[in-house]
Amino acid sequence: MEIMRLVVTGPVGAGKSTFIRSVSEIEVVDTDRRATDDALLIKKRTTVAFDFGRLQFGPDMALHLYGTPGQSRFDFMWDILIQKAHAYILLVAAHRPHEFREARRIMTFMKQRSPSPMIIGLTHTDCSGAWDAANIALALGYPDPTRRPPIVAVNANETASVAQAVISLVQFTWAGSLAPTT
Amino acid sequence: MTVTGYLADFSLPELFQLVEQGNKTGLLTICTLTDPTTIARHNHHIWLSQGQIVAAGNSLDQQGLMRLIAQRGWMGDRAVSRLAQTCQIHTPLGLCLKNQGVLTAEQLKLLFYTQVMRQVCALFALPDGWFQFDPKAPLPVSEMTGLIATATDVTLSGLRALKDWNALDEKLPDPSSALISVVESKPSLRLNPNEWQVWEFTNGTMAIKDIAQQLNLPVAKAQQIAFRLIVTGLAEEMPMVAAPPPAAFELAAPTPLEQGFATTVTADAAGAAPVSQSFLQNLVGFLKGKV
Ligand SMILES: Nc1nc2c(ncn2[C@@H]2O[C@H](COP(=O)(O)OP(=O)(O)OP(=O)(O)O)[C@@H](O)[C@H]2O)c(=O)[nH]1
Ligand SMILES: [Mg+2]
Repeated sequence: MEIMRLVVTGPVGAGKSTFIRSVSEIEVVDTDRRATDDALLIKKRTTVAFDFGRLQFGPDMALHLYGTPGQSRFDFMWDILIQKAHAYILLVAAHRPHEFREARRIMTFMKQRSPSPMIIGLTHTDCSGAWDAANIALALGYPDPTRRPPIVAVNANETASVAQAVISLVQFTWAGSLAPTT
Repeated sequence: MTVTGYLADFSLPELFQLVEQGNKTGLLTICTLTDPTTIARHNHHIWLSQGQIVAAGNSLDQQGLMRLIAQRGWMGDRAVSRLAQTCQIHTPLGLCLKNQGVLTAEQLKLLFYTQVMRQVCALFALPDGWFQFDPKAPLPVSEMTGLIATATDVTLSGLRALKDWNALDEKLPDPSSALISVVESKPSLRLNPNEWQVWEFTNGTMAIKDIAQQLNLPVAKAQQIAFRLIVTGLAEEMPMVAAPPPAAFELAAPTPLEQGFATTVTADAAGAAPVSQSFLQNLVGFLKGKV
């Protein structure tokens, strides 16, 4: 069985679990629990362990998606996971500037520990108060538009949108080796 | 595009970093929300040109700088406005008055200090406020001295002088996080001795609380210094892996999921196994069917 592992990370409530549910063919193991005080302001339930989703698209080919927990500290599970990930997507809720700093922390952690390529997925761009991609890029520490990871808008609730984001991630990661498909 | 939000979400030092790194020109307005029961709200305006602060004030009537000059007793309002009319159209008022020999370079500096440094630095202590950055607002020459300060410099001075850190408490890096430098060489900013000391530890390996101990600083103080290094673009906060006590591995019963991927994930060699060309094409083809 050939497997590709993608990690879906990002601050609390960015849409990681929803993202994985939208493309997974198996029932995503629900590890959401009542959020503690900090996160309660944002949402009632939060993921306490890693999400796992799976998509089999050939007799011996499967995509595994791992979602990081929203509130947990960075522990050894993160390490094991990201060491084995082919690529990852950092989800950032565009309408929650409060979480941009957390997104930055996660990114710094990931960059330090994993050489895997990353793209940024902006969720909640349909919500009021959403910042545009250029300003979020700045807030995440990417002043130079020519030297930053690809940024895509994604609605985690929509399968088509999530599929498109995964395609972007795959295409970016294997830019050199993927022959153009029409 | 206009950027809006609340300072409790995106703090003033972060905003300054954003406008500086983005080389932004325009008007940043901060509306304080101290007492929601009164209608009396205060607006603060900060004008930026290519990421640098060129003027500040609390009204949009274009008279702020003239009032400051009058307050100093250097010249009456009327005299200033009369002289102002002779200024060239794009020349900052302060510079124009200096060119006319009415104000000295020293006086200009003092004006700038009062207008920008003092007013803006006071804003770092605001517990909250609504902000808006308007990139279309024209630069007000009559509020400008002609002097400028980088947003970073203002942040550094403002945060160094800040006594009450309550407003920024939540933004400070975690004591268990390390710092990692994000600049290639030695910082060109003029850091103070404590900042240099903390800077020496920006190699991603030592937790801020341990840095504090090494330097004999209170942890809060080290966090504040670390925050300054972060918002001035010198370092980033690097969360460290929370190592479980050895026994925890056996004790904490892993969920079935965790067991599952611990076996699938740790089975193969280090790093991600490469995937084949046909795998990639099949995957993309399959996903395109869902788009
Ligand atoms: N309007 C809108 N809602 C979205 C979008 N993406 C995700 N959501 C919603 O955001 C909420 C939070 O999503 P989750 O998937 O629970 O977020 P999470 O990242 O897993 O959260 P934690 O596990 O707590 O970190 C859900 O109600 C989603 O339906 C989006 O693009 N637009
Ligand atoms: Mg979740």
